[in-house]
Amino acid sequence: MNFYDFHIHSQFSEGGSSIEDITKRANLLGFKGICIAENLKNLNKIKSLRKNVLEVSEKMGIAILIGFEAETAEELKKLVGVRREYDVLLVKGYDLDLNRKAVQTKEVDILTHPEFNRKDSGFNHVMARLASKNNVAIEINFREILTSSKNTRSYICHNIRENIRLCKKFKVPLIISSGAVSHWQLKDPKILMSMGCLLDLELNEAKKALSETPMNIIKMIKERQSKEWIRPGVKIVR
Amino acid sequence: MKKLKILLPSLREKKRYIAFQVVSERGEEFTYSDLEAAIWNTMLDFLGEYGVSKTSVWLLKDCWDQKTQKGILRCNHKSVQEVIASLGLIDRLGDNRITFKVLKISGTIMSIKERFMG
Repeated sequence: MNFYDFHIHSQFSEGGSSIEDITKRANLLGFKGICIAENLKNLNKIKSLRKNVLEVSEKMGIAILIGFEAETAEELKKLVGVRREYDVLLVKGYDLDLNRKAVQTKEVDILTHPEFNRKDSGFNHVMARLASKNNVAIEINFREILTSSKNTRSYICHNIRENIRLCKKFKVPLIISSGAVSHWQLKDPKILMSMGCLLDLELNEAKKALSETPMNIIKMIKERQSKEWIRPGVKIVR
Repeated sequence: MKKLKILLPSLREKKRYIAFQVVSERGEEFTYSDLEAAIWNTMLDFLGEYGVSKTSVWLLKDCWDQKTQKGILRCNHKSVQEVIASLGLIDRLGDNRITFKVLKISGTIMSIKERFMG
């Protein structure tokens, strides 16, 4: 089975490891592809980044995608404007308005950890309906659980469980990722899958969150980067 | 002390064996006791005493290979996900950063030993 991790930060953004180290570790753990999440400030360096990524990808034999993570509504607007220049658009969830805006935007692929730094789950039935309609995947972030402890960890697990319940009810795509900021935080796909199972996912749903949902996103990327594509829902038919 | 009579196979708890490898920063060789303490502490933190009691988890001492850093964990068949998820939460052993690679999950120890433990 092909597994993908779609939320990793390299040293270009907030991470501490080089793309080479991350790719080497992902290869060792058995991932077929990864997505390096960048910040908006690196948008002007995208050509050199893509060149670097291509070199590493060919050397290691695994797919590396370039993603950008919007942290504010303004950043999201800017990134939507240049959507064809990069592969994956992620939105950093924590603010309710931003979470809502993310699930309303068809160009967005993943809403990362909607419950981040919140007491509530940051995601409700209205957002779930919108996410399902616009095919925005909701992320289960392993790093959130890894770096927390005691009561904070139990609150996070509870909030993620709530989000999963809503996603299952409204058929929202789910994606499990490590959210790693270092190659040491990359986890074996079986570990990510098991964590999904502990958070009330069935085993086949957890597998789907690690392989089928990312593959659907890759399919969308290819479609989006083809010449026929104009905007979501609009393409040239010859 | 008088020994208990061994349970019939059909009455015994169904076991699963998890083969894993520890990947460390500079290829350090961890001992069985280092690893055992880390696994117990993390599992007690994450699952609690009651949760751990349900898993019947045990790190097999004679299957720990210090050179290759490969080992086998035993648990019951209902707690495989709990045990594997807990392994993912161990990111340090002492001052060293580590990652676990899950090699295989099996119902018999023989198949794992043949394939991964050399």
